[in-house]
Amino acid sequence: MIRSEKTLRPSWAHRYFRAVSGENVWFVLLLIPAVVILLGVIVVPMLWALKMSLANTVVTVVGGRGSVGGQFVGLHNYVVLMKEPQFWIALRETLYFWIVSILIELTIGIGMAVLLNRPFPGFWLVRAIIFIPWAVPTVVNATLWGMIFNGNSYGALNDLLLRWHWIKTPVVWLNPAPVFAQIPWLSHLFSAIGSNTAMNAIIVGDEWQTLPIVAFLVLAGLQMIPHDYYEAARIEGASAWKQFTRITVPLIGPVLSVVLILRTMQLLRAFTMIFTLEGYGLPVLSIDAYQQAFSFGDFGLGSAVAFMIGFMALLIAYFYVKNLYREELQ
Amino acid sequence: MSHGSKITLACAGLAVLVAGCGASTAATKPPAASKNITLNVLYMNQAGYTAQALEKMGQAFDAKYAADHMHVHFTFLPYDQMHNTIVTAAAAPTAQYDVVLSDLIWTAQFAQKGYTLPLNGDISKSIANPAGIPAAIWNGFKIHGKIMAMPFLANFQNFYYNKKMLQEAGFSGPPTTMAQWVTQMQTLKKKGIVQYPYEEGWREGEGFTCDYVATAGEFGANLFNKQGQPTMNQGGALQALQFMRMLYKDGLINPASLASGSTTAADTFIAGQSAFNTNWTNVTGMMNSPSESKIVGAGVVGTFPVQPGTNTVTGTASVSGFQGLAIPANVPASMQGWAWKWIQFATSPQIQAQHLHSQWPIWTSVVNSPKEQQLNPAYAVYEKNLAGVYNRPKVANYLQVSAIIQQYAHQAIAGTIPVQTAANDMVSQIKALPQ
Repeated sequence: MIRSEKTLRPSWAHRYFRAVSGENVWFVLLLIPAVVILLGVIVVPMLWALKMSLANTVVTVVGGRGSVGGQFVGLHNYVVLMKEPQFWIALRETLYFWIVSILIELTIGIGMAVLLNRPFPGFWLVRAIIFIPWAVPTVVNATLWGMIFNGNSYGALNDLLLRWHWIKTPVVWLNPAPVFAQIPWLSHLFSAIGSNTAMNAIIVGDEWQTLPIVAFLVLAGLQMIPHDYYEAARIEGASAWKQFTRITVPLIGPVLSVVLILRTMQLLRAFTMIFTLEGYGLPVLSIDAYQQAFSFGDFGLGSAVAFMIGFMALLIAYFYVKNLYREELQ
Repeated sequence: MSHGSKITLACAGLAVLVAGCGASTAATKPPAASKNITLNVLYMNQAGYTAQALEKMGQAFDAKYAADHMHVHFTFLPYDQMHNTIVTAAAAPTAQYDVVLSDLIWTAQFAQKGYTLPLNGDISKSIANPAGIPAAIWNGFKIHGKIMAMPFLANFQNFYYNKKMLQEAGFSGPPTTMAQWVTQMQTLKKKGIVQYPYEEGWREGEGFTCDYVATAGEFGANLFNKQGQPTMNQGGALQALQFMRMLYKDGLINPASLASGSTTAADTFIAGQSAFNTNWTNVTGMMNSPSESKIVGAGVVGTFPVQPGTNTVTGTASVSGFQGLAIPANVPASMQGWAWKWIQFATSPQIQAQHLHSQWPIWTSVVNSPKEQQLNPAYAVYEKNLAGVYNRPKVANYLQVSAIIQQYAHQAIAGTIPVQTAANDMVSQIKALPQ
């Protein structure tokens, strides 16, 4: 009997043929372009970069033909990175940039979304205006903030603060100098966690541009929560804070996880604004990867740094998904 | 919709997509029937000859070789992107650029890695009078007997000062010693003539390394000794770092200099907001241009002040920033001849003599021409500063060396770490670099 069932079960080839034939042909054909693009622009380059990170990869020109290649060295590049003080400094700066930015987005971003979720006169106009910074190209945004943070008295921010007598001399906002320099222990503490004047200024400029998209994604999540839940909570006497923590936060968990994963990936590999304003002077991991590969010509080490960024993003994303989805289930 | 129709529609969709891709690829290819030759040249849009001057040279070259349907096409990039672009282009099977502007600090790396071709053969065949270019400039592009680029820009730094401000402060001339310079800066600040007398581009970047080299030169020192060992933690190189820290601590240099580059520093100087600036030769043109300068007539080119007892031969100290034209090693053989023709044309004394307002020429004969003397009243000062240049080290891992110098010198000036500690760390890290 058992033997006969085994005989009747279709082979894997038959099952595969059935899966891609009949009604499924249409779906398979439509999927092909997306799969080809994903393979071409993500999977293949990623595997190529992994190969580069495991080799002593450099640019060579032999017989008039340029190429990128090198001998397989296993995990040597990763070991070299771990031994380099510069890598740990870059990691510290990157983590500071990520954590502070995410905290700002979670507090101000959600706050903005909650405010925008309430109807008020002209709310459509406000929503449109708030969204404008997101449409500004990153290089333009960097240049704009470069002018605002100009360290001379004619810099927009310095000019304003001088007029209001909040400062006596112009502040060089884009100099990576320690904060709270007058209080040594506090200054050392902040330096130890990767904080400096330039980093904080860049966080402000970056958040100005990205907060709108965070607010709008959270707003989309808020609008999916049925009003009945709040109505029932009000009847039961729940305060506004309790409604927020017991209804809003759990129900926007999936949206928040998407926002956090998206922003974490963006923040860990943040490059344009930092490079435009600081060059190699603010060594976050993405700048380190670029400098190792393109300036020092060590594409193996550069790829290893890039993979470390990817690995960090993967770990953090796993943490978000696991925790935020669990909250939704509760 | 029937099953067959769906499949047909899907196939048609795919066919359109594939055809679209094909059409796009075809559009980027030059027409097969055309005999046009395009020579791609990579140049910077920051210092040296202006883009307009280069375009004019290109038009003259196109006209000269019109029968061959020649066209020179320029790609202009900021200096900081030049090296990375050249290295990336070297990775391609066939060159993206036929001629590139090559800085002297890349000579050793390009020679060791074979990114550009040695030009010894072309130079010995086609350049009738190589001695017409000063040996100091040639040396920037020579390594182990190979000449990796043909000199094009005789770039070096000058000492710029605002004569009007100095007169207002009661000084009849520029400083000649470091002590005099400090006194002048202190007086200018004390009298409220200018808030920060000195302006520089000390953001972490190659320009900052150049300024450190020039300042060490003012104290009569190189950053590396004759054996190629770093010497930033002793003698004149250490004094230079201490001097730079003092300028920042005492408010003699604009603190914003730590976050700006040489272009911003030049802009501030020509806007009349600082009394001193050391910068590349192109600032002379900017300073005297009524459309962009507020100090026309007040801005003067001078020799650098030096520490007494040093630089006794030249009486000044500058830093070299010579740049040459090079041919990438992956340029097809069919284009190498054209690439050299362009290099020979652009670097010729005849062409350089036509663009004297834009850049200091490499040829001594053009420097000494009546036209140059008429156009550039400071030409004698230029000659002195050129003779007094200090060079950055010619090592294959120069960019790593420079990054270490920038990182520690920046922290020392800002006061994040003591000067001596920064200098010691700088030296030990450079020594630890793999050779």
